[in-house]
Amino acid sequence: MRSFIKKDLLIFLRDWKELLTVLLLPIVLVIVLNFAFAGLFDSDDEVSMDLQLAVVNQDDETDAMEQLKERLVSDAAFEEQEANAIVEAAEEIQPVNLLSDYLESDDVKEWVTIHHLEEKEAAEKVKAGDLDGMLIIPQGYAADSLYASFADEPPTTSLIYKMEEETTDSSALQQFIQGFIEELNYQFALQEITGGAEIAAALPEGGLEDMGTAHEFTMTQYFTIALGALFALFVVATVAMKTGVEIRDQVFNRILLANIHPMRFLIGKMVSTIYLVVLQIVFVLLVSHFLLGVFPDRTIAFWGGIFALIVLLALVLSGLAAIYTAILLRMNNVDAANGVFMLATLLFGTLGGGFVPIYMLPKWLQQIGEWTPNGLFLAILTEWVQFEKLSSIVQPSLYMVGFFFLFTIIGVALFPKRGKAQ
Amino acid sequence: MLETINLSKSFKGKKVVQDINLYLDNGESVGLLGPNGAGKSTTISMISTLIKPTSGRITMNGVNAIAKPGEIRSVSGVVPQELALYQELSAYENLKFFGSIYKLRGKELDKAIQQALEFVGLENRKKDLVKTYSGGMKRRLNIAAALLHRPKILILDEPTVGIDPQSRNHILEAVRALNQQDGTTILYTSHYMEEVEQLCDRLYIMDHGKIIAAGTKDELLSILSTEDKIKVEVNKLDEAFVEQVKTMEGVRKLEVSELQLKIIAAKGSSLISKLVHLTEQHQIQLLNFHTETPSLEDVFLHLTGRTLRD
Repeated sequence: MRSFIKKDLLIFLRDWKELLTVLLLPIVLVIVLNFAFAGLFDSDDEVSMDLQLAVVNQDDETDAMEQLKERLVSDAAFEEQEANAIVEAAEEIQPVNLLSDYLESDDVKEWVTIHHLEEKEAAEKVKAGDLDGMLIIPQGYAADSLYASFADEPPTTSLIYKMEEETTDSSALQQFIQGFIEELNYQFALQEITGGAEIAAALPEGGLEDMGTAHEFTMTQYFTIALGALFALFVVATVAMKTGVEIRDQVFNRILLANIHPMRFLIGKMVSTIYLVVLQIVFVLLVSHFLLGVFPDRTIAFWGGIFALIVLLALVLSGLAAIYTAILLRMNNVDAANGVFMLATLLFGTLGGGFVPIYMLPKWLQQIGEWTPNGLFLAILTEWVQFEKLSSIVQPSLYMVGFFFLFTIIGVALFPKRGKAQ
Repeated sequence: MLETINLSKSFKGKKVVQDINLYLDNGESVGLLGPNGAGKSTTISMISTLIKPTSGRITMNGVNAIAKPGEIRSVSGVVPQELALYQELSAYENLKFFGSIYKLRGKELDKAIQQALEFVGLENRKKDLVKTYSGGMKRRLNIAAALLHRPKILILDEPTVGIDPQSRNHILEAVRALNQQDGTTILYTSHYMEEVEQLCDRLYIMDHGKIIAAGTKDELLSILSTEDKIKVEVNKLDEAFVEQVKTMEGVRKLEVSELQLKIIAAKGSSLISKLVHLTEQHQIQLLNFHTETPSLEDVFLHLTGRTLRD
């Protein structure tokens, strides 16, 4: 078996044109696309947003405490003394001010520009597309939300968020506001547990963290991973093409005549594919990292995870190499087979986000993309880069293992029994 | 040792090889002669167990080799017509790979590689990539790769196609040495008559997928023992003259090329005096005139009506 693997590796590594293609081209593309897309989004790394939000405040907080006290006594049957204590604590909170402070905080200001407008004007501007959305603080919101919190009843008034149509920007705004509401509820809940008065309401933190992102996921990271995986597909196609040469030159027949089990030939192809894919992607990731600082300040565990996932992709692609090899041995026309593999590579590459960022594709195409080996690899690595949590990648990694077994079984099933005379 | 009985092969309903009966005895050197497209390579592929016959049998020491291809594979080395080599590997790396798939390891493998390289005269170029070799060197390496496991039968399919005379001689000498010194049984296919004449004890002549003659060289030549071969050169030719020669009594075959006539005639047909007379009649000058001993080429011409290179 070692001689098969060594032979395949030597043949591949001596093909300098192929080496340049799979090793240097992705790095060149990462660099070019990195700068191209950085210019497009007017940022070096991250995709920036400038969201325009109208705030329409219809609530009058000056009466809020009075209204609260009145409802606590009349509706919730609190004693006068209890009601006074609650109102005193509630004065520290003032939900509308909290919301206002939240929206004006430095973190949020990086992303959102607030416009304080009347409802009519705001509605017109949202409709005209000048603003991404409008937030209405309805009359009695402060008193109602405080009452609901202290009386442990569902609020009857809530913030109203309106947008003309759902876009990435308007949805992001909605998430900002949702983040605030959740934080507010959390503060109330804490207050109840601890008895109220000592808790000072803290502003919710803005920025990407509130949207659930532990680490940034940059365009450079995207392209490094996507192109690494795309060119790994080219490695597989090349391994298959080399098989075509072996068939055309009758070397394969010479191997058969040595009276060895032909499955060794197939396994040799698979193992050499694993080596080549791992070498190729590790090279692309490391060189891109050292040139562009793709994954700054990450732990050894992070890199270990990256390596394990690369090995996983290599396993899947070794299964794909088995299918390609088996097809080649079945087809009479080697050139036609190579054409089919190249088409498959381009198809996988496109669906898996290798040619254009996957989020630019329609949702249904994105979902299909995750059923390609490279697309799934990209999705898993995106998750790993952001959250570095094993639990979040276990399930998709199992899908990868499933891909490996599926491809291998298909490859073995298709592999002709050419050990015997045809 | 090895025998085929009524071996036939059809591709898409078309019979390309039909009822081949041949045998190889231990230590023999047997030639399979025929023009391109005669079915030699298909026959070789069946004998070497690469393709399955449509009908017929192959036995190796009495064992059915179609059911048990290992019987032949384990004792044979095949030199295919194509260069079955890895162009991106060196000669040494190629031989190391092919030796290892024959389960040769360590010192045994190194020794086999060294011997094979010396045998084909490539030991000084063993580290060079095959793609840098000349056609003749590649052909020699192609043979070396089939010799690593010291096969008892060496099957060579047109091993000298398209190479320089020096490499050709080297290959012929090497094959002869294998047969005469090492006792290796040889099955050698070619469309070069002189190679087969030089190397082989017995011959099979194939045409259109069939064996049309078989035997030792003398046995085959005896097919023409009742004929004379006469070569005539003249200063000019006209159709009437050629037509008259063709219809002369005793003429069995006539080949005309430029100002030369090759005539195969029945022995004792007194053709020479008739030809002299005919040239005078047509006012044609006889420039050269001689009778030849028949060759295997003539046997082939006699049997098929065409030359081997047609």
